[in-house]
Amino acid sequence: MTLALRVDKLRKSYGNLKAIDDISFDVERGEIFALLGPNGAGKTTCIEILEGFLRRDGGAIEVLGVDPGERQHLRWLRDRIGVVLQELAVESFFTVRQVLERNAGFYPNPRPIDEVIELVGLSEKGDAKVKRLSGGQQRRLDIGLGIVGNPELLFLDEPTTGLDPAARRTTWDLIRLLSSEGTTVLMSSHYMDEVEALAHRVAVLSHGEIAALGPTTSLGGRNEGEVTIRFLLPTGVAVTDLPITSSRVDGDVVEVKTRDEVSTLHTLTGWAIDLDVALAGLTVARETLEDIYLSLTRHDREESETRSR
Amino acid sequence: MSSATNDVTTRKYWLHDLRLVVHQVKYEQLFFWLNRVGAIFTVGFSVVFLVLLGASAGNQRVASLGGIRLVQYYVPGFIAYGVMAAGFTTLAITLVVRRETGLLKRLRLSPLPAWVLIASIFISTTIVALVQTLVLLVIGRYGYHVNFPSSWFALLIALLVGIVSFSAMGVAISAVVPNQESAGPVTSIVFFVLLFLAGLWFPLPPGSGLAKFSNYLPVRHLMIAMDRSFQIPKGVSPWAWHDLLVVGLWGVGATLISLRRFRWSPRRT
Repeated sequence: MTLALRVDKLRKSYGNLKAIDDISFDVERGEIFALLGPNGAGKTTCIEILEGFLRRDGGAIEVLGVDPGERQHLRWLRDRIGVVLQELAVESFFTVRQVLERNAGFYPNPRPIDEVIELVGLSEKGDAKVKRLSGGQQRRLDIGLGIVGNPELLFLDEPTTGLDPAARRTTWDLIRLLSSEGTTVLMSSHYMDEVEALAHRVAVLSHGEIAALGPTTSLGGRNEGEVTIRFLLPTGVAVTDLPITSSRVDGDVVEVKTRDEVSTLHTLTGWAIDLDVALAGLTVARETLEDIYLSLTRHDREESETRSR
Repeated sequence: MSSATNDVTTRKYWLHDLRLVVHQVKYEQLFFWLNRVGAIFTVGFSVVFLVLLGASAGNQRVASLGGIRLVQYYVPGFIAYGVMAAGFTTLAITLVVRRETGLLKRLRLSPLPAWVLIASIFISTTIVALVQTLVLLVIGRYGYHVNFPSSWFALLIALLVGIVSFSAMGVAISAVVPNQESAGPVTSIVFFVLLFLAGLWFPLPPGSGLAKFSNYLPVRHLMIAMDRSFQIPKGVSPWAWHDLLVVGLWGVGATLISLRRFRWSPRRT
């Protein structure tokens, strides 16, 4: 059994609203898999069905080989999964150690408390009350509660929403560390950079449907699509003097779109060296995950704009 | 995953779960006493009320209650208050806060079985009620010469019926309170109006309109059941079966509401 999650034609509606409309994906053991999408795309609904918290309307799912919709498997499953919710859910007047010890008692094979405290970087805060922690520290304790039961599979619902940049980075490091130890992670996010930094594979959700699914590095064919080369036009050189066809000039900025970036760059830089001119501000950029994401979810945004008008 | 392995694990869970109850009760207790609001509201209030009222008006005789001293009425009355404050108000508020902050949802998604959580909350509430009952009995006995109950067993049963029923009412009201901000005001106002109508501070003359009205509500019945276990006036049975029945019926009604309306997850905005 190498699959941690199997989702096949999953469906869920709230009244007339189709929250999840026929989605399918698999997650392998040890993988970090991300559900990316705007608010209301169905990320949390999907996660809560997989956690066994919500009932589905149709489709088949397997979590660590069992169906979380069947009551008799729930206890077995909950011994083996960890959950971090969108809400920061920790009692504020307990100490860090107290909450962790309390939750560790729920599980058959918990991680040692000191190890968890160390992992989430709260070594100096073990005896501090939760309400004295910063937002980032509380979120890390929250993740600590998610992993205290030594889960095989960890659900992270928007793990860094509301955190400052430094706290986000430490949270990312923690997620990478857990993954390197073999924990499978299913996360949701509406931050592109987060998904790009963490996830091996990503499913872009839009209106409860999967708009795109694939490895993060090649989603929507962005590893082989057009490349954009930009630089400032050297002084005393006209656009027509350039050895390559430039697609656009915006002020002094020259932009070249090409599918053959290696030879285009070779021609351009060879020409610059021969004439001894500088190519100030030279950049080579591929379509970002953000570009892909925005084009995939354009429909969502246009609709919400019309609605808000 | 063969079903055989599941059977084995299910069997092992029994012992594990009983230990879990002990584990969870420990943290429910810690939760209650560290969260000073709850402790002040239950034990603190009832002690302060008893001491102040006992010192100021305790020796007045109440003609409508067979001429007993007022403080004799206050000791069982504030024992009932403590049960209701712990089971109803404190439980309702903490449940709403736990639900809206996602704590309940997180517990739901942990291996902790729902019955272990419910049993632990009930046991913890009982411990609080017993502690404050003992404190009030000792203050009444040694501060104001109020006798101990003539039937400890009757007092214990009244305590248990009160805790179960008022806890159920606390769960029911937590299910209809929409958010954290309104949890405190809503439950406290309902609670103090009910207490006042039931004559906790100013005894109601039997047969008065207010007493008849209060007979439909559970608070006065719990106070009477507590009062009876002290068996004043003499010759009356310490068992107030009729009153316990009314309290119990309110508990059953509240349980039915709770089963229909209880939510684990916060209200999404």
